[in-house]
Amino acid sequence: MADMSQASATLTVSEATLGAAREPARAASASKKPHKSKKWIGYAAFIPFLLVIIGYELLPLGQLVLDSLVGKESGTLGLENFVKVFTTPLYQQSIINSVWISAVSAIVGIIVSFLAARFAYESSPRVRNAFTMVLNMMSNFSGVPLAFAFMILMGNSGVLTILGERWGIPFLADFDLYTGEGLMVLYIYFQIPLATLLLLPAFSGIRKEWREAATILQATPFDYWFRIVIPNLMPSILGTLSVLFSNALAAYATAFAVVMNNYALLPLQITSKFKGDVQIDTATGGALAVVLIILMVVCTLVNNYFTKRASKGREVI
Amino acid sequence: MAYIEFKGVVKRFGDNTVLDHIDFGVEKGDLVTLLGPSGCGKSTLLRCLSGLESVTEGRIVLDGRDITDVPASKRNIGMVFQQYSLFPNMTVEQNVAFGLRMKKVPAEKIQQKVADAIAMVELTGKEKAYPASLSGGQQQRAALARSIVTEPSVLLLDEPLSAIDAKLRKALQSRIREINQELGLTSIFVTHDQDEAMVMSDVIQLFHDGRIEQAGSPVDVYTKPVSEFAASFIGSYNQLDAAVFSEVTGAMVPAGHVVAIRPETIGIQKEAPAHTDGAYVVRGTVQDSTPRGNVLRYTVKTGPACLRVDVLFRSFHMFDKGDEVYLVLPEHDCLAIPESNAA
Amino acid sequence: MSSKAKAASAAPAQKTPLAARIFLGACALYLLVPFLTTLVYSLFVEWTDVLPSGFTLRNYAELFTNSTFWLSIGRTLVLCLVSVAITIVLLLLAMYVVVAVNRRLGRFMQFVCMIPYALQGVILSIGIISLYTGTGTILSNRMFMLFGAYTILVLPYIYQGIRNALNAIDANMLIQAAEMLGCGRFRAYVQVVLPNIVSGILVSSLLAESIVFGDFVLANNIAGTNYQNIQVFLQANMARSSGLSSAIVVIIFVVVAAVTAIVLKLQRSSQNR
Repeated sequence: MADMSQASATLTVSEATLGAAREPARAASASKKPHKSKKWIGYAAFIPFLLVIIGYELLPLGQLVLDSLVGKESGTLGLENFVKVFTTPLYQQSIINSVWISAVSAIVGIIVSFLAARFAYESSPRVRNAFTMVLNMMSNFSGVPLAFAFMILMGNSGVLTILGERWGIPFLADFDLYTGEGLMVLYIYFQIPLATLLLLPAFSGIRKEWREAATILQATPFDYWFRIVIPNLMPSILGTLSVLFSNALAAYATAFAVVMNNYALLPLQITSKFKGDVQIDTATGGALAVVLIILMVVCTLVNNYFTKRASKGREVI
Repeated sequence: MAYIEFKGVVKRFGDNTVLDHIDFGVEKGDLVTLLGPSGCGKSTLLRCLSGLESVTEGRIVLDGRDITDVPASKRNIGMVFQQYSLFPNMTVEQNVAFGLRMKKVPAEKIQQKVADAIAMVELTGKEKAYPASLSGGQQQRAALARSIVTEPSVLLLDEPLSAIDAKLRKALQSRIREINQELGLTSIFVTHDQDEAMVMSDVIQLFHDGRIEQAGSPVDVYTKPVSEFAASFIGSYNQLDAAVFSEVTGAMVPAGHVVAIRPETIGIQKEAPAHTDGAYVVRGTVQDSTPRGNVLRYTVKTGPACLRVDVLFRSFHMFDKGDEVYLVLPEHDCLAIPESNAA
Repeated sequence: MSSKAKAASAAPAQKTPLAARIFLGACALYLLVPFLTTLVYSLFVEWTDVLPSGFTLRNYAELFTNSTFWLSIGRTLVLCLVSVAITIVLLLLAMYVVVAVNRRLGRFMQFVCMIPYALQGVILSIGIISLYTGTGTILSNRMFMLFGAYTILVLPYIYQGIRNALNAIDANMLIQAAEMLGCGRFRAYVQVVLPNIVSGILVSSLLAESIVFGDFVLANNIAGTNYQNIQVFLQANMARSSGLSSAIVVIIFVVVAAVTAIVLKLQRSSQNR
């Protein structure tokens, strides 16, 4: 039923645009005219949306691509800016740092959240609801407020830093928040609630019959987890992993609040090229932005692939 | 001239022809069933009449007026959909009143008409209920009330009972039939269920692959299928190739035909019948017997053919597997119908 | 929620195992500590020992009498309400076309609506800056850029809310039913479809509000100090006064947490229905 009406909508449009020209002699074509004008009125409601999308989403993206392709020195179209980005140590380092921080924080995040989701799944509804509540609340704790909280906690005169000095715990006393390792701790922090919230629904797809069947077939708990549960959850796990990776890749506020522009990280470098504390360099900034866009698009494609597989798997079950 | 006329109606979705030159008329006050398997185009024709779908070619005339290009909202046709078409944010009462509001009927009149329509579908007491709190059958009753309250010139029903369980279905079938007759409301009913079509209709239009295969009263369609498709879709005809039939009975059949025999027309007995005028008598062996409600179905092997034979389920006179029996096939119930590629 | 409860009864253990209690407790504590520290910090004069000393509400008093703070809150609210409202109107109009005129546009719409989700704030903000800055038209006005950017930022969330709500009620069927009763398509969309998706729109727009409220990137990159929202205000104050900043952090968190709690509650009650 739905398919049919979909087909009809499709048809009427192609007719409105092509029909009269294709078969001018057709008996019905003359009487189609009132329909045709009505259809156009129908489309009018789409125009405001289209304008905003073009003006504030598609054109800005196009502008960045254009920026990246117009050479900074030569002023001609080409890959000059990309060559520069990939040969300048600062930009190389930015890309490497960004990918590294994102990858490590995503992997640590997924391990912790897998365990958390697993334990939450085994808990009573009361415990699970309370834990989910904490996750929901703390998933909002990110960006500048999060950076500030960590400064109070682990900054130069942070509470834990002082306690570390007092009690002689070198890890806390010598911890430097304003470096790559510091950022790593922050990034891992904001990955955990997000990842757990994404993984929890996947766990509810696990049937208790699987465990019963596995037990009857004399599987050990190890077999159960590694041969049944994890393979079944794999699409969700990998999909979540790619979400975490892109989430960290694009994170700006947290890093900016901690290290300002004094660290080689893609979002920070890109923004500084356009915001011009020093000078505006849209060519290099555009090229860096395109690199970031490509990384993000790859993540989205990976995630789509796994989400589709995950949902397919569920249908089969 | 009929009340509703379909004149050479063609509907294509892209390259796919869903309706292929449909021509027929519907008389005022009749209940006509469009019967056929899913995907045969019967729903599409209904939607063309409703105006929700445009036709590719041809005209549709309603009460002498060409409505082919009139938008759905101006045709004054009532329609009951398969399910879930009630507006969830409105009560039963508000749903029923919706069409009257659209017509700007004065409020006092609306109240009376709504109450009448709700009473007619036997939903009195549920006026203030929201659709979500109604059963499937009640929802369809409300939908029915909503579409008759505006006094439409035609009532269209697009498989309205397909999602409702068997018992309630029977009750609703007769309610729809009664409303059709009480109001003299011309109705077109789409279904893929041949029993439903038999029970309800004045006329059945049997659809197959976008064309009308056969039209007629339920009795005609049931007893005189015109094609292999009609024979297989209506009832559960035994169908024998011409050669097989000749071998079994010794009778000659014109080439290019098959012979269709309804299972309940075949007699089955232990002794050879005394006189065999007007009937073919053949010997066979009972292969199987299955009770089907009040009917017992035997499968009898006779020569190269296997025939299904239905008899009323009585506890005496039963045959066992392997019994030798005589089958009596009345000649006028052995219908030679043209062979078709489909079916 | 009800389905979750069912899943729970099917879960292997009704009672929470000790290991789960410990792990979940540790996780929750880890997640809560940074905020709790900030909360305590905002309520005390000094924290240089194991325990803080000198309970005070001075930070909050100072904040609430600071007109810059109230201005930034006001700006943030304006940004939240206006941009979310614009997005809702744009999407409802566009969705009418998808539902009632041409379903094929749905794919295009889904694609463009999910782009901001994939690209997030940094790319969006610099793209807009690069395109419009210095063009000398009204479009180079910072406020225009900012509202445009927020409208796009919240697009994915509101789009999904509206689409899910439309799918849940079979909007197409309702419009057809109304049409058969003599109602025009657009009128049917407004009178029959919209009342049924209000709660879905409400939930997703609250979510969008909390996203705009928590945004720093767009506000900082596009408007910066010209139009300080609460996050930019916090960032500007961080180096100056950590007492005051901690109070701002607490207030931001409480507001966002309250909105989140409302969203969860609404979602739960709609699932129960």
